[in-house]
Amino acid sequence: MHGDYEAQRHWMEITTRLPISQWYFHDLEWWGLDYPPLTAYHSWVLGKIGTLINPDWFALFSSRGSQDPNLKIFMRATVIVSEYLIYVPAAVVFARRYGRLTGVSIWTATVGLVAILMQPGTILIDHVHFQYNTVMLGLVMACMSSLLAERYKWSAVFFVGALMFKQMALYYAFSIFAYLLGRCTFPKVNFSRLFGIALVTAITYGVLVLPLVAGTIYDTYRGVGSRSDLDGPPPPLPILAWLTDYIDTGTFYYPVVEMVVQVLHRVFPFSRGLFEDKVANFWCALNVVLKIKNYPTELLQKAALVATLLAIVPPNIIIFFRPRKATMPLAFAATAWGFFLFSWQVHEKSVLLPLMPMTLLLAGKQGLNRDIRSWVGFANILGAWTMFPLLKRVDLRIPYAVLTLLWSYLLGLPPTSWSVYTDEGFGGWSQVGTATLHTLFYAAMAAWHVAEAYVAPPLHKSDLWTVANVGVGFAGFGLCYLWCLWRLLKDSDLLPSYATKTKTQ
Amino acid sequence: MSEQYPTLAQCALVAAAFKILLFPAYKSTDFEVHRNWLAITNSLPLSQWYYEKTSEWTLDYPPFFAYFEWILSHIARLVDTAMVRIHNLDYDSWQTVYFQRTSVIVTEVMLVYALQLFMETSPLQSRRAAHVVALSIILSPGLLIIDHIHFQYNGFMYGILVWSLVLARCKTTLLSSGLIFAALLCFKHIYLYLAPAYFVFLLSTYCLSAKSIFRPRIFNCIKLGGCITGIFGAAFGPFVFTEQMPQMLSRLFPFSRGLCHAYWAPNVWAMYSFTDRVLIHRLTLKEGALSSVTRGLVGDTAFAVLPEITPRTCFFLTLFFQILPLLKLFSKPTWENFIGAVTLCGYASFLFGWHVHEKAILLVIIPFSLVALRDRRHFGAFKPLAVAGHVSLFPLLFTPAEFPIKTIYTIFWLVLFLMIFERMAPASNKPRFFLLDRFSTLYIAVSIPLIVYTSLLHQIVFGKRYEFLPLMFTSSYAAIGVFGSWVGYMVVYFTA
Repeated sequence: MHGDYEAQRHWMEITTRLPISQWYFHDLEWWGLDYPPLTAYHSWVLGKIGTLINPDWFALFSSRGSQDPNLKIFMRATVIVSEYLIYVPAAVVFARRYGRLTGVSIWTATVGLVAILMQPGTILIDHVHFQYNTVMLGLVMACMSSLLAERYKWSAVFFVGALMFKQMALYYAFSIFAYLLGRCTFPKVNFSRLFGIALVTAITYGVLVLPLVAGTIYDTYRGVGSRSDLDGPPPPLPILAWLTDYIDTGTFYYPVVEMVVQVLHRVFPFSRGLFEDKVANFWCALNVVLKIKNYPTELLQKAALVATLLAIVPPNIIIFFRPRKATMPLAFAATAWGFFLFSWQVHEKSVLLPLMPMTLLLAGKQGLNRDIRSWVGFANILGAWTMFPLLKRVDLRIPYAVLTLLWSYLLGLPPTSWSVYTDEGFGGWSQVGTATLHTLFYAAMAAWHVAEAYVAPPLHKSDLWTVANVGVGFAGFGLCYLWCLWRLLKDSDLLPSYATKTKTQ
Repeated sequence: MSEQYPTLAQCALVAAAFKILLFPAYKSTDFEVHRNWLAITNSLPLSQWYYEKTSEWTLDYPPFFAYFEWILSHIARLVDTAMVRIHNLDYDSWQTVYFQRTSVIVTEVMLVYALQLFMETSPLQSRRAAHVVALSIILSPGLLIIDHIHFQYNGFMYGILVWSLVLARCKTTLLSSGLIFAALLCFKHIYLYLAPAYFVFLLSTYCLSAKSIFRPRIFNCIKLGGCITGIFGAAFGPFVFTEQMPQMLSRLFPFSRGLCHAYWAPNVWAMYSFTDRVLIHRLTLKEGALSSVTRGLVGDTAFAVLPEITPRTCFFLTLFFQILPLLKLFSKPTWENFIGAVTLCGYASFLFGWHVHEKAILLVIIPFSLVALRDRRHFGAFKPLAVAGHVSLFPLLFTPAEFPIKTIYTIFWLVLFLMIFERMAPASNKPRFFLLDRFSTLYIAVSIPLIVYTSLLHQIVFGKRYEFLPLMFTSSYAAIGVFGSWVGYMVVYFTA
């Protein structure tokens, strides 16, 4: 039924019931572990707690596909508890710091905080569907608020944690690197800070990998192989096979190498295609025009690399030269949008990554005013909308409708109210343009919902509605990327005309 | 005066969103009961409504409710025709669930309207308090548990009741207040328990002159009597005409049922049964026969040690404790006294009634809420009731998925509203009863280990054995709270 639910449950099963060296090798056909080690440790802790309550929930093999209602409560509770331990405190601290930094009243920052915590996309994916994204997003938020507090070493710790929980956090890696580098370079070069950050990063990685490495060595010492089902010499490495030319497979550390390679192989599935499902990014939209499958994989990989770099370089250059606290979330959002739109192997759920820093803007200066509120709202509603096909497959239409409409109602946003565009009087032609553009998109989304529900697509194009969703979604997300970039330019005082205008006022 | 945020409508909307998310939650047999009524009213002529018995859940509400189901069934047929077939027992397609659950949410608008009216008619100095009270009722965990998960139309019914209570505030709308209550009786006859208070109140304010009780206002009497006859005629007339009255009455008042309902409602009889069980335990221990200790509780009203209770005893006890507050109401018919008398009538019938269902606690909580913020003395009596009444509803939902919802929501509601009430209740000009305050604090504190025991510890210690223990503790605990708050409120009512 719920693929992700069973996957998470299964990981609790394998981490608690198998020796550590087998975690990434065990029966990969049945939801094999494909997230970095911190997820595995997290599963282990939850699995241990669950086993205390009922050992059958995570019994090896026999628990597969369990539909025990009590288990479901336990699993749902673990998501909520994980969120309350990591995401919620991080959001509270961030909203406080960001609000204070930009001189926002505590009431406004709190309203922004509530809006952040009630983001429909996050709730839909984590609590309605089933995942632990808030752990990773919370760690990134903690990293960002450490950046605001100028505790750079802590920010490195948190970010490595996020990255070791879900590799998707790489979407933020460039902007964190650029921001930190900028902070170490301007106003004057600070080598000791840079070195300190690098050292802490390396140590954190080491600490997080250590249990896996030590466990593998210990298991080899005990004579427990990574693959209980295989006899004889170890099979060739799945990727980086040339390593065996340099390393003897008989040495004591070979299992560690094998393990690390296996983790990398599981976590970064380069062997898979450019995209799996229909997702509202550039490649999927392009696929409508020319069939991407016909092109060689290497070419596509290079194209994706170049396109992603082109998209992410501008915001990162800006944040490097102008590493300002107030604009940091914008740089994060723009970079994450760049990754989402152009990179390799993107999943619909990855839209949560650019949405998170963008939504954080609500807690900042003028966060609840027209410009930011309308765009953040637009991005979130559109993000939830592009996940609709995914949610529909598991019959989650009602929660989708309720949570998105509730959020937009509470924030006074379309489709429940258009007051956000008119509240502050006439704001120039750019304002009219934004309002028109957004209205067109909202109308398209509404029309799409009607069509999808009542009109059967033509026979030879059975995926017409999905494709339409992808097209509209890509266009909207592209606009969000451009808006973030433009706002970043503007708030970094890099737009000459704007800068002079504000000075004269 | 500026409007207060969040407004009632905003809260109701957000609450509705939450309720929609609960659509797939557990639903009790009441869901099938109401589906069956849709089927009966839709597919049979009126002359057979009260005779039909394909399903065991026969129509046992008064005619207006049957008409209400008849109207709903016309929409229901469009949503899913299979829903309104009589032989389609236990039918619960997703259309049926969505339709029925939606109808509960939509008809709850009645309650929102009534509460809005309540706020608007409150005197200026207590309007903030009225606002908070209205919010507490619309967000009530009782309604959430009973209506939106367990399944019933109490939001609609209590909406009518509150509407009628609010109209009683103003001299010019007294007549409509009485008539709306008469109509409510034709919806659900459980409100008969409150009728004595209405009777006395209307008698002394509407039918008798303010100067002397020996001077009836004849024209008013005729108006009231005529209109009430009209309403009852509209309700029961068609059934008198089709000669169903005796059959209907036997459905409405099934005296063959036992003293206590399946789970013990937290009333005097629960404490009585509990005492009886303890005594059995003591006696049988001496004789060495333990087997009878675990006798089932369901429908079991045979007492081993204490004397049997007859319906007649219940009736006279209820009547006696209803008459006490009514005497005061008759001599001083103010609106506050009226609400107090309605509340105390609800208390008396809940505590001493025959075959009381725990859902009936709303009969006390909702009228009481309207005056709970008058002063700290009222609030002091309300506190244990709010805790006991809601905790006693917990056994209604026993599935694992609903456990966190009911517990967390109720605790959150109790903490939030009791805290706000605490802050808003004005000081009383009469001295308070400190013993009562101590009692209510201690009482609330005990609820925490109780919830922990009934929901977690019992399972760990005993597993599936002695399943009646948590139920018995819950209802005995709640019975003490309800009884204590009744005594407290009696004191407040008579000394105010």
